[in-house]
Amino acid sequence: MEGQGRDGGAAEAAVFSPSEIEYVSYGGEHHLKLIMDLVDDELSEPYSIFTYRYFVYLWPNLSFLAFHKGKCVGTVVCKMGEHRHTYRGYIAMLVVIKPYRGRGIATELVTRSIRVMMESGCEEVTLEAEVTNKGALALYGRLGFIRAKRLFRYYLNGVDAFRLKLLFSRPDPLLTMNSNESHDPLDHP
Amino acid sequence: MADERVEARAPLLPSIPSGDQTVWADASSLIAAACNDLQDGELVHGENFSLFAAMSALEIMDPKMDAGMENNGYRSVEEAIENGAAPLPLSSDSTVDVQCLIDIIDHLVACEATWHKGHSLAQTVFSCIYLLRIERTSAHVLLHSYCRIIRATCNAVISAVSDARTHEEEDLFTMAFGLPLKGEGDEKCLSILNSVEETISRQLRACKALSYKKKVLEDVEPLQANADLEEGYCRALLCRLRFRKHFYHVLTCMRKSQGRGLELARKHIALCLSELSSIIKSQEFLRSNVCRSYQDDVEESTTSSGCKPVGFDASLNSRFSAPTPPRAIRILSWKKAIEYFEKLLHDLDVICCFSLESILENVLHFVVQFQDSQPDLVARAHMQLLLVQDGKLYGRDFFYDVISKAIALPEFARDIEFQKNEFVVQLIQLVVNLLKILCTNAAWQRRKLGKILQDWSLFSIQLELALKREFGDMLKPLVDENVCMKVSKHLLTWAEEQTYWIAARFLMLGFKLELYSPNEYCMVYWYMYIILMKLLEKIQLRLSSKGDYRRKGKKKRDVSKDLTRDVLVSSPSILLLQCYISLSEGLAMMLAALRNESKVFEMPNVFNSEQERFIQHFELLQKAHVPDHISYYLFKESTIHASIPIVVKHNYFREAQRISTSLRGSFSGDPGRMQELRRIDQVSEHNRIALNVINKVSAHDPSLSVTFEFTHHPFFAVAVVKRS
Repeated sequence: MEGQGRDGGAAEAAVFSPSEIEYVSYGGEHHLKLIMDLVDDELSEPYSIFTYRYFVYLWPNLSFLAFHKGKCVGTVVCKMGEHRHTYRGYIAMLVVIKPYRGRGIATELVTRSIRVMMESGCEEVTLEAEVTNKGALALYGRLGFIRAKRLFRYYLNGVDAFRLKLLFSRPDPLLTMNSNESHDPLDHP
Repeated sequence: MADERVEARAPLLPSIPSGDQTVWADASSLIAAACNDLQDGELVHGENFSLFAAMSALEIMDPKMDAGMENNGYRSVEEAIENGAAPLPLSSDSTVDVQCLIDIIDHLVACEATWHKGHSLAQTVFSCIYLLRIERTSAHVLLHSYCRIIRATCNAVISAVSDARTHEEEDLFTMAFGLPLKGEGDEKCLSILNSVEETISRQLRACKALSYKKKVLEDVEPLQANADLEEGYCRALLCRLRFRKHFYHVLTCMRKSQGRGLELARKHIALCLSELSSIIKSQEFLRSNVCRSYQDDVEESTTSSGCKPVGFDASLNSRFSAPTPPRAIRILSWKKAIEYFEKLLHDLDVICCFSLESILENVLHFVVQFQDSQPDLVARAHMQLLLVQDGKLYGRDFFYDVISKAIALPEFARDIEFQKNEFVVQLIQLVVNLLKILCTNAAWQRRKLGKILQDWSLFSIQLELALKREFGDMLKPLVDENVCMKVSKHLLTWAEEQTYWIAARFLMLGFKLELYSPNEYCMVYWYMYIILMKLLEKIQLRLSSKGDYRRKGKKKRDVSKDLTRDVLVSSPSILLLQCYISLSEGLAMMLAALRNESKVFEMPNVFNSEQERFIQHFELLQKAHVPDHISYYLFKESTIHASIPIVVKHNYFREAQRISTSLRGSFSGDPGRMQELRRIDQVSEHNRIALNVINKVSAHDPSLSVTFEFTHHPFFAVAVVKRS
């Protein structure tokens, strides 16, 4: 899936205080159109209404919207499920409209989703982002995502993608085991 | 979702049995009734139709999704032709006809390059209506011959790429359903082209003779009506036709078995490049004689004249471009297309220059160096076809011979039983697989290398177990037990060496693919250091046991030991490896010291910690036990006390510089390796200075900013120190 809103264009920045932004969990059909309009405008990949429904109907608790004075300015759409023996969260779309970028709205949206995933028992979270989308890459890097793979010409426009992955910390049984154990004195600096 | 459920109210017909008695009934009224009930965006749910399945739905009449949607264009090739979209002749004016032909030729080259660069054949080369109905063009000999050679070339390229199977993620390339790719008589395309070329050559000679007021010997009909332009157009056409001819020869020569056509291919490559420069030179003439409409942006134009070509319509067969949604393709500019072909020819030339030697170490080095210039799919496919043919290296050397040579197996041990030995058979498979993977694009290659590490490591584990169990059994028919044991041990050491080589390449490719962020560099260099040390250890082990077979039974052991030591100390590849080791260790410790002292490159800890990132980055290496006993704790333990003064004292970078300088003599005949030495020297020098500056200022200084850049080497970073 495409999906991480891109930087770009010199849109006039909106004037607002972060406290004016209201974050809302997906609340039903009336939110669907808001999400669709936002994503359709910002992302180039074609999604039918069924794509949105798949996500927001099955995982409404993982989708969030950001409002400023009643206007929807950003959204995140996610899912989670079994993937090769792990329980994994997936961030499908993240969009903040241009005048509202650079003020932490996307970070807040995605952090909320990731927190729900963590609490729901996910071991890791993944997503794809264009290699040229510096803004998204920096955002996810700050949250602890690594670039696990590069996907050659992943998007239809011929651009490569990074598969980003976040592995949640978990109590490590090795930690207690290893601390009592002396290490193999291998050649190391 | 219950409110979404739509039940069809019309009575359902009993299910119709298939077979001879199949009856088709008109279901229109039923469907109409169901449709009337469905609101926009609703769907019928069924047991086998979930929300997930619904995502694959295409919205009809949505221009982003519906490839078959009418776009005010023509509905079929025939309709386009009827409406004059691809006139024949191209113009009633013979001069304009030639101009149009050259534009078509140029645009086709742009399309071809765009196709090679990863777009579908249907929306690039086969957007040409003339090519879609090639029979139509038979009266226009020039256009016809060009279309035929283009089609034959496309076929040759597709067959190379699909035979090589290097295109796992590039399979769009060979997709050609619905396109008229196979045509009768294409094998004659060269002779048709040759006769056309001959005609134009005569026309050129004739017009030159005329201009010198010489008597024309033969009665030659000119190419077009305007005598002043005759020479220019003849020349512009000739170089274009000749380029096609030589390019086709290049492709066929390179496919000759055992690399037998490589020398001839080189000659054709040189001719192609010279025709390409003539094509570039012809641009001035073509631009100055334009009488038709320019493309919007002449610099971005797909033709050298800057005119729009006639006879192209990418939307005509957008239906063939499935399974992807329709997407407007930006055809490369003519200039970019020419540049692409120049690069392709240079990459192919590199392949043709290869000495086809059978020392595997050198083959691997050659492929890696070849990949450094980022060759595109077509060149990589040819590389792979050359390396592995009929299960043999270059289709010439049996891989068990190549492996025997690599492990320095004496002749007497290379018998039929050795070839049939299950471990040897397995190892051959691993080597063939490795060679193929090394020819794929960097992104795919890294993922595959990560996966085959498991296979290599499993192989070593099994061999080691067998060795421990009863070494005599596995290679029993060999001369004597002592030799069996040694052969197995050598196989094992060699396999382990390759495993570390793969692991090192895996880690290094991560830099090329930009998979590491600066706060992860420290752990990556640290791991690289560990891997390279193990690699060095295995190479030394292999070299030191090289004399094993010979030494047996001889008394002068000390002499051969001295010889071995000499080999170990002076082997250029070992010294180069030691350079890498010093650089990796130096960078790891420098980064660790910076983090310890100035808190730069610290990791964010919102949802996880550095440990999780370590686990994720090295998961595949750890799973494959490459090497054993490496953990995050070991990494922490060995870097936690790093400080700038200690790193300065260790002189890692000076050491790398010292070795690289001493290596210049050994590599003087190898430009690739000489360049590598220069890069190592620069990385070492910059980092050494940077370290001293940081040490003087003190890493604690808040005005100090240190960043790392890959300005001198693809995977060894250079520290850039700034003070605000």
